[in-house]
Amino acid sequence: MAQATIDRRPTDSVGWRPIYAALGGLVALGAAFSLADPARIPEVQNLFLVFGSLMIEAVPFVLLGAVVSALIEVYVPASAFEKLALLPRPLQLPAAGLAGMAFPVCECGSVPVARRMADKGLAPSAAITFMLAAPILNPVVIASTVVAYRGRETFWPMVLGRMSLGLVAAVAVGWVMAGRSKEALLRPRPDVDHEHVHPERSKPTAFVSHLTGDFIFMGRFLVLGAFVAGVMQTFVPQSFIGRVADTPVLDLVALMGLAFLLSLCSESDAFVAASFVQFGVGAQLAFLVFGPMVDTKLGFLYRGTFTKGFLRTVVLVVGAVTLAGTLWIEVLIG
Amino acid sequence: MSTFEASKPMVRSDARELRLDPQRVIGTIVLLSWSALFWFLMIGDRTSLYLSSRTEWIVPVGALITTVAGIGRLLTLRSRNRRPVTSRDAFAMSVLIVPIVVVLALPTATLGSFAASRRSTLSGGYVTSVEDIVSGELSLTDVGGALRSSEAMRALADRAGSSVEFVGFVNRDGGTPADEFTLTRFLISCCVADALSVEVRVIGAPPGQFKKDDWVRVEGLLYPLNNEVVVDASEVVGVPRPKEPYLNP
Repeated sequence: MAQATIDRRPTDSVGWRPIYAALGGLVALGAAFSLADPARIPEVQNLFLVFGSLMIEAVPFVLLGAVVSALIEVYVPASAFEKLALLPRPLQLPAAGLAGMAFPVCECGSVPVARRMADKGLAPSAAITFMLAAPILNPVVIASTVVAYRGRETFWPMVLGRMSLGLVAAVAVGWVMAGRSKEALLRPRPDVDHEHVHPERSKPTAFVSHLTGDFIFMGRFLVLGAFVAGVMQTFVPQSFIGRVADTPVLDLVALMGLAFLLSLCSESDAFVAASFVQFGVGAQLAFLVFGPMVDTKLGFLYRGTFTKGFLRTVVLVVGAVTLAGTLWIEVLIG
Repeated sequence: MSTFEASKPMVRSDARELRLDPQRVIGTIVLLSWSALFWFLMIGDRTSLYLSSRTEWIVPVGALITTVAGIGRLLTLRSRNRRPVTSRDAFAMSVLIVPIVVVLALPTATLGSFAASRRSTLSGGYVTSVEDIVSGELSLTDVGGALRSSEAMRALADRAGSSVEFVGFVNRDGGTPADEFTLTRFLISCCVADALSVEVRVIGAPPGQFKKDDWVRVEGLLYPLNNEVVVDASEVVGVPRPKEPYLNP
C-alpha cells in the first residue's frame, strides 16, 4: 500500500488549476474589451490592427516552420545532418546559406527549423547561416523584390545586392559563431528534455508533440515581438526617420533602425522599401538586408531560442556587413 | 486479504495508465483556438481587414494546419507520462490566446486618419506603369505612381482634366478649407503592418458634410499640380466602407 501511495503522488499532483485560472483570465479580458471598447481610441485601434495582422500573417508561417521542424526531428535520421557536417567548413556555411533558397517561408518559420537542424547534428554555425539566409534568398522573397523594383534604374543593384549581401551577412554570422558548441548557442528547453526522457510511443504522436511544443515555444515570443512592433508603428511616426534621408551613413542606419522597428515580413518589405523614394539605393538595400535578419519580433524569438549574447552578435555582425556593403554599393552606383 | 484487495495496490500504483495530460490539453486549447480564429476570419469574410489579396491564402492554410494539428493533439490527449502544469505554462497559453481575444474584440475596423498621419505616404505606385496611366481608367494607385515617377507624372499631366471616380476615406487637418479634404486609401501588399497611404486633394466638396474617416465616393476632374494631384469634385457622396477596404497590388 505504501508503494501505491508513493507512485500515485506524481499522477495526482498534476493539477488543472493554472489552466482554469488562465482561461478565466482570458474570458475576463474578453469581457473587459467588450465593455470598455478600447478600440474607439484611434491609437488603440491602430495598435490592435497592426498587432492582429502581424499575428494572423505570421502564425501560419511559424506553424509551417514547426511542421518542418517536427518532420526533421521525427522522420529524418540524425545521420543525414552528420553527413552534411562532414563537408569542409569553407563549404558548409555557403551551402547552408544557399539551402535557404529551398525553404520558401519568411523569418519566423526558419528559426524553429534551424534549432532542430542543430539539435540533429548539423553544425550550429551552419544552422544559423541557414536561418539568416532563408528569409532573404527564398524564391518568394526574390520574386517580391523583383516585382517591387521592376522598371527602375536600380532594379539589378537592389535584387542582386539584396541576395548577395544577405548571403554574405548570413555566412559572416555563421563564421563568427563557428567556434561555439550547440550547448553554448542554444537555450535549453525543459519540454524537449522531458520528451527525451519519456519518448513518445508512436511517430505520429511524437510528431504532434514536437509540432505543438515548437509552436507554443516560438509563439509566445512572436506575440511579444508583434506587440512591440505594433506599439512602435503606432507611436513612432515614420516621418521622423525621413528627416535623415540626406545625411550620409546616418540614412543607412536610420533605415536599418526602421526595419528593426517595423518587423515586416520579408516577403513584403521590398514594397515598403521601394516607397522610401527620398532615400538612396544604399539605404533601401540596408532596409532589405538588415530587416529580415534582425527585427523586433525576431529579437524575442532569438532570445527564446539562443543563449545570451546571440542577439548582440547578430546585430553587430549583420549591421557591420550591411553598412559596409551598402556603402560600397552606394559609392559604386552613385 | 481478498483477491481484489491483493490486486488493488497494483492497479493503484500503475502510474503509467493512460490519462489526460494537462500539458497536451494546453497545446490542444492553443491550436484549436487559433483554428477557430482562422475559420472565423474565413467564414466571417474578415480576412481582407488584415491581409492583402496576395496573402489571403495564408488564412485557409493556417486554418488547415491548426485544425489538423489540433485534432491530432486532441486524439493523443492521454499519456502515460503526465506532466504537471505550472503557472508559467498557463501564462504561456494565455499569451498565445490574447491575440485571438484582441482580434475578436476588435470591431470590423480598418486603418484610418490616425494611421495616415503616422505612415509613409505612397508617393509612388509600384503596381502601376506609364502604360496604365496613358490609357484606361485612372485609379488611385495610378495617381500615387505619378507622384513618384517624373515619367509617370508627365503621362498623368497629359490626362489632366480626365474624369475620375475614386473611393476612399476623408482625412483633413485643422488648416484644411471647409470645401476641401484629402481622400485617402491604404495600399497593403502583405498585411496591415506594411500599409502605405495614397492621397489626393479633393476641392469643391460640400462644406461640413463629411467628417474624418467617413468613406466617400468622389467624382470629378483630375489635375496634377506640382507635387500633388487634385480632384475638382463634381459629386461627393457618402458610401459604406468597401468590402475590401485596402488597395492591393
